[in-house]
Amino acid sequence: MTLIGDLVEILGPDRVLSEPLERYLYGTDGGVARGEVIVVVLPETAGEVSDVVKAAKRHGSPIVPRGAGTGLAGGAAPAVPSVVVSLTNMKDIEIDLGNRTAWVGPGVINLDLSKLTRSSGFHFAPDPSSQSACTIGGNVANNSGGPHCLAEGTTTSHVLAVEIVTADGEIVLLGGPAPDPIGLDLRSVVVGSEGLLGIITRALVKLTPNPLAVRTILAGFATMEDAVATSSGIVARGVVPAALEIMDQKMTRAVENFVGAGFPIDAGAILLAEVAGHPAAVEAEARLVEQVANENHVTSLRVAADEVERAKLWLGRKSAFGAVAQLAPDYYLHDTVVPRTQLVATMQKIYEIAERHGVLMLNVFHAGDGNLHPLVAFDASVEGQLDIVHAAMEEVAKVCIEAGGALSGEHGIGLEKRDLMPLLYNEADLDAQARLREAFDPDGLFNPQKVLPAGSRCADLGRPIPTGAWL
Amino acid sequence: MGWVTDHAPTGAELNACVRCGLCLPECPTFRLTGKESFSPRGRLMAMSAVADGVVEVDESFAGIMDSCLQCRACEVVCPSLVPFGRAMEGARAELAAQMPSRTRAARHLLVGRVLGSPGLLRMATLAVKVGQKVGVGRVLPSLLRRGFAGIRPITPVAVEPGSTYRAVGERIGRAGFLTGCVMDVWFSDVHAASIAMLQRAGYDVVVPATQTCCGALAAHDGDVKDTQRLAERNVVAFANVDVVAVDSAGCGAHLKDYEHWAGQAGELFSKRVFDITELIDQAIASGRIPKSSVDRGPVAVQDPCHLRHVQRIVDAPRNIVRAAGYSPVEIDPDGRCCGAAGMYSLLQPELSRQLGAAKADQVRQSHANVVASANPGCEMQLRSHLGKGYEIVHPVELLWRAVQEDDR
Ligand SMILES: Cc1cc2nc3c(=O)[nH]c(=O)nc-3n(C[C@H](O)[C@H](O)[C@H](O)COP(=O)(O)OP(=O)(O)OC[C@H]3O[C@@H](n4cnc5c(N)ncnc54)[C@H](O)[C@@H]3O)c2cc1C
Ligand code: SF4
Ligand code: SF4
Repeated sequence: MTLIGDLVEILGPDRVLSEPLERYLYGTDGGVARGEVIVVVLPETAGEVSDVVKAAKRHGSPIVPRGAGTGLAGGAAPAVPSVVVSLTNMKDIEIDLGNRTAWVGPGVINLDLSKLTRSSGFHFAPDPSSQSACTIGGNVANNSGGPHCLAEGTTTSHVLAVEIVTADGEIVLLGGPAPDPIGLDLRSVVVGSEGLLGIITRALVKLTPNPLAVRTILAGFATMEDAVATSSGIVARGVVPAALEIMDQKMTRAVENFVGAGFPIDAGAILLAEVAGHPAAVEAEARLVEQVANENHVTSLRVAADEVERAKLWLGRKSAFGAVAQLAPDYYLHDTVVPRTQLVATMQKIYEIAERHGVLMLNVFHAGDGNLHPLVAFDASVEGQLDIVHAAMEEVAKVCIEAGGALSGEHGIGLEKRDLMPLLYNEADLDAQARLREAFDPDGLFNPQKVLPAGSRCADLGRPIPTGAWL
Repeated sequence: MGWVTDHAPTGAELNACVRCGLCLPECPTFRLTGKESFSPRGRLMAMSAVADGVVEVDESFAGIMDSCLQCRACEVVCPSLVPFGRAMEGARAELAAQMPSRTRAARHLLVGRVLGSPGLLRMATLAVKVGQKVGVGRVLPSLLRRGFAGIRPITPVAVEPGSTYRAVGERIGRAGFLTGCVMDVWFSDVHAASIAMLQRAGYDVVVPATQTCCGALAAHDGDVKDTQRLAERNVVAFANVDVVAVDSAGCGAHLKDYEHWAGQAGELFSKRVFDITELIDQAIASGRIPKSSVDRGPVAVQDPCHLRHVQRIVDAPRNIVRAAGYSPVEIDPDGRCCGAAGMYSLLQPELSRQLGAAKADQVRQSHANVVASANPGCEMQLRSHLGKGYEIVHPVELLWRAVQEDDR
């Protein structure tokens, strides 16, 4: 029987997409890479996922798990012709308010969970800017962060257990409700594994109580330096706000054009700061934010008057990447992290690199933890543009790493950042990671050629590659 | 072959999409199926695939376009400001041009001929009327029966073409009233209420005799020629009024889009088009229409997509319901499509049924048994899914009733 015949037997014809155009639509995600899709399947239970994995394995077909396809690093874009397993229809939610946890299917949309638990006074803390669309499975796979992860930590701090389907088609549970289950913490290994170690079919996540009080402050500055100095100054005084986000002028203008939230478009950079918690503490921290902003020559300052205004400011911030299309049809961004003390110097270098390569650079980032998103807006249909952008962005990555930083704060490595890994890791590091992957998936069935560059496994070099294996 | 018409989605429209996916959760058909091919991003990518020569306009492309409700919920949340509705109308125009023989023939007949011709529509109406009297609803196949159940009991047509209704009190302008095609004969009570309230708002109301169907259904179906013909006729018919008042959200949305169908004249025309709820809301705000002090209980407010997502009107119907003495009850924070969507309920019955059932559940949970909806298609869909025990009316009808009661 053919692969597709087997899959139809498992799922029925309606959940196996094999038309060329339908497959084409799954060839890419929110990034710029495109790959070839053999067939798309939409399982609804872990059992079905397991059967699909077994069938694909029998036919020697690689598998790419996919959530909402909002990833920016090509994680869900096949690097080699693959079966795409779309988890969007695994959407069960079981809430346990007593334990402040929920079992969720991988296809549950991040914001849907928070909306569902809002009236009970809870939310799911990781809030990527894509939270209205991205799935919890994708969040776990990428260990995603978001503006409010400054105080709350990224996804890994909010996942107690994961159920995965392994490369053998086995369904295994890693972790559990206890805060520190005995044995090796394999749950932590799977969080952030970008679909390389198994397909996440369920996750036990923590629910976080909604803060009693929130204050959102929008501050405008003449220069990026002042904005960064303010954000670093706030943290240096021992306050960890709920969020500290900066946008440069070009980004602010594009965003304002979409939301009309009253962002100061004449400012060189804006800082969006949020403090949350007990009303008295919020009051004190808000005063401190204003004070530090004043010390750094703030040019405009506004406190969101109500929930509507606050929501609009956040909608603006969270629409930043999308709003770039108003400037150019494509964008390419990095997700590097630099120590806060290096922010100003690094930003300067990034703008210099952009100028030297003649590319349009915008910046919007999580200033509180130094997680930069330098972004180039360009037109990929112009011959040679993508190469120029890649060259410029490789320099940007280098500059960030030289400043003592990391390659990815939250978006993952995927395909886009794979070949930059050696900038950060030496051979031994890469070999260790490749061996970890092999332990889970000896044949390299899951998301082949992602994250780890070719030749990561030291032994690869001399070893004949068995047929049916993808590295 | 790529595109063949002047109306095809343009490179600029398609390139505006950066594939961020933020529109996916807003799309009713994606929510139901979880498939890219049923999502705004997937539909745009399919159009790009044609534009880039990756695929041709064929059955599988047509299927992806046909399942779109054209509710335009995706446009509201798109930070890249992709003009999705325009691009989709372009894709439909291509389908009509490149695959004329598909099931489109039957639709074309209905959309272009029956709705454009008062005579034929009246005949169809007569059939419905007779049916309502003798109760044929029960013998129809279930799908048609559902559509049949959505139609109001038909009352005599109240609005005569060519007539003028004088402003009550101080006159602030001259309103041209669009009677529409289906609205005219099937929803004449809504017209009566709208005209009465416009008079009280201070408008002389004229009903141009030469007006015709707005052309929305033809446009959604890709029938460029008919759409242009109908648009040009209306631009002329309404040349001499200050505002064009429309009491069907779907028609109003399309009239506001005439720049794409009747050039510069269409653009100028569009600027004068207002949904009836906008005009009446203004009159309430300025005190020309009084607010009732009687407490009349809860009313569930349903947002037609073409009001909320396309015309971006959210507050006006609520203000009107409030002015009529009712307390508006929210049924759906996301404003998801009810699945009526013009001809959609006939062409995609299963998706339409699921959306209609979900919307009806939202109404039931609100515990209100009156629903205010400013669009005839939604009204029919709601009535057929809610069944007995619910009254579905246009918000302006509620206000007109209240005004009459309070006057007494
Ligand atoms: C506008 C915009 C803003 C963004 N903002 C942020 C941000 O603030 N912070 C941030 O961290 N990211 C952000 N992202 C990136 C992206 O949204 C996140 O990485 C998100 O978690 C991806 O989720 P997804 O469901 O779209 O996953 P996909 O893109 O479908 O997949 C992402 C990766 O996870 C794997 N995967 C998905 N589901 C599973 C599963 N069930 N089991 C195993 N592997 C799986 C895929 O193979 C792929 O490698 C943003 C993206 C956009 C477009
Ligand atoms: S929100 Fe806009 S830019 Fe993003 S995928 Fe949808 S249509 Fe494209
Ligand atoms: S118009 Fe409505 S149905 Fe069509 S893609 Fe947009 S949201 Fe989906």
